[in-house]
Amino acid sequence: MKPLSDQFDDELERRDANGWVGGKAYNLDPEVERLVTLARRLRTTPELQVDPIFAHRLEQQLHSRQAALQPVRQHATWRGWLLPGRQRVHPLLSTAVALGLILLLGVGVLAAAHGTENPNNPLYGIKVWEQGVQVSLAGSAPDQAELYLQFARDRLDALKELADDGHNEAYQKTLSDFDQQFTLASQQISSLPPGAERNQLTAELATLNTDAIHTLRGFLPHLGLSEQVVTTNELGHLGAAIPQITSVEVTLPTHPNGQATVTIHGSNLQSGAQLLVNGKLSIATGILKGGGLVFVVEKWTGNQHPHSIGIQNPDGTATQTTNVTVKTNSDDGDGNGNGNGNGNGNGNENGNQNGEGDGKGNGNKPILLRTRDKQK
Amino acid sequence: MFSWWRSSGKRDKASEEQAPSFEVQLDRAKRGDKEALSALYYQFLSLVYGTIATRVPDRATAEDLTSEVFLLMIEGISQVHSTDEAGFGAWILRIARNIIAGYYRKRHTQPEVIPLETPHWEEEELGESQAIPASHPDYDPVRLTEGREQWREVKEAMSHLTEDQQQVILYRLICGYNVATVARMLGKNPNAIKALQFRALHSLERLLNAPTPVRQTPRAQVRRQEGGL
Repeated sequence: MKPLSDQFDDELERRDANGWVGGKAYNLDPEVERLVTLARRLRTTPELQVDPIFAHRLEQQLHSRQAALQPVRQHATWRGWLLPGRQRVHPLLSTAVALGLILLLGVGVLAAAHGTENPNNPLYGIKVWEQGVQVSLAGSAPDQAELYLQFARDRLDALKELADDGHNEAYQKTLSDFDQQFTLASQQISSLPPGAERNQLTAELATLNTDAIHTLRGFLPHLGLSEQVVTTNELGHLGAAIPQITSVEVTLPTHPNGQATVTIHGSNLQSGAQLLVNGKLSIATGILKGGGLVFVVEKWTGNQHPHSIGIQNPDGTATQTTNVTVKTNSDDGDGNGNGNGNGNGNGNENGNQNGEGDGKGNGNKPILLRTRDKQK
Repeated sequence: MFSWWRSSGKRDKASEEQAPSFEVQLDRAKRGDKEALSALYYQFLSLVYGTIATRVPDRATAEDLTSEVFLLMIEGISQVHSTDEAGFGAWILRIARNIIAGYYRKRHTQPEVIPLETPHWEEEELGESQAIPASHPDYDPVRLTEGREQWREVKEAMSHLTEDQQQVILYRLICGYNVATVARMLGKNPNAIKALQFRALHSLERLLNAPTPVRQTPRAQVRRQEGGL
């Protein structure tokens, strides 16, 4: 039997399709029926129906406003070309006009910079400077917080234009700017005294947070690998569930191009994830096994020790770590095949250890390559 | 990309196939095409009005703020970079939220003015109701007052719900978007939305049926409404 929430939603869909006035479905749970009645009350409440007279009046108003703005926009475009003087003017006037033009040029540059969203554009620096001035001129802390929120929203909008393979650098820079503005907004809001204004700004910040998570998740399938990694990190900063690696164990084959096993432990690891070795996708699909994600790599390149291991989840979230433990897949204890395992080239890099170790039965001794607290 | 149209459908499938794409329509509206602008306006009117009406005290304020949102839309439309419905919808909702925030900020800084005379919009309504026989159910002043009072109770109860619950009630139950659309708007999966709307309505029902409704001071109400944006 379907859960009540599904039954309720089915009934809403049915009502949406067949109209809200009319009979109810048979065998409807009384609880669901009660909630459908309340939903109907909300849906049909007259207070939420737009008054058609108001709607029509506003439409007319919008057309008039549009009509008023249209010539201004066109005029603004052409005025600059029509200005050059046809008559001789007084030198003082011409100086004033020249100064005016310089001022206009300055304002024009500022305006052009204002519309720039690509950090690789030389005008972008002016835009950042202009925003810094705006913040410093803002009268109060709440106004500053509002500005930071606005700048963060602008960056999020700008990311939509950059979320493809052709703008990798600009995307990463804008994402970093977004993070900075969001953090500044958050810090500014938390420093405000309790009250309505702070509550209001907190709610705006929460909305932006939700919007950002939704938007960034939508970008993931269109991004390159390194952009997926930074986007995943940003999602983590915003409080979304992201994959996190706590430990990686690589069991290397005893001979070159043999089978290696990579076991990854952590959280939010998804079955079907792809393996990343040294920042590149490897042909191996992870299977959740014993609380970890296990990858079997059929042909491991030589005896190469990976310096970073990561995963790319099916939803596009990706993460890497350099905290990798490497073991050698040699049999220990019973002596079967030890000779082969030891004799085959493992000795090139760490043969001394392995050579001595195997004889004493501890060939699986882990070699810790690098240890960093922070995931890459 | 998802559609911002109500699932109840204002247009059928055939007309949807014939209609120009949103991008084309938006481009025409930017260039001053009246028809495209009207289509865009009606497409987002319910969403904007619903968002505002659930957060401000009365219809007149909701209409004023809705007008402000669309006038700002006209002024800023040429600078909108989004070309899809979702992006444009998010942009216009952001304007609406800023307008509501501005309204409450202004209300917070200015002392409340209590009019000595009946507000003109109430006069208009009274005038209309007097002109039409009081027995007419749609214009019965008692029914109108009762309806307004009931809606006030619903809004007050809604202000006690979580932000997610308020949004799901607004988008799904009031604006009528389907589950998939609401899921994309809120960045959740459809099953979570179904469960959320069920819980939200449950809580709303409980709050509305509470023996003694939660009464707040007007200031506390304002604070809650501000927090619920």
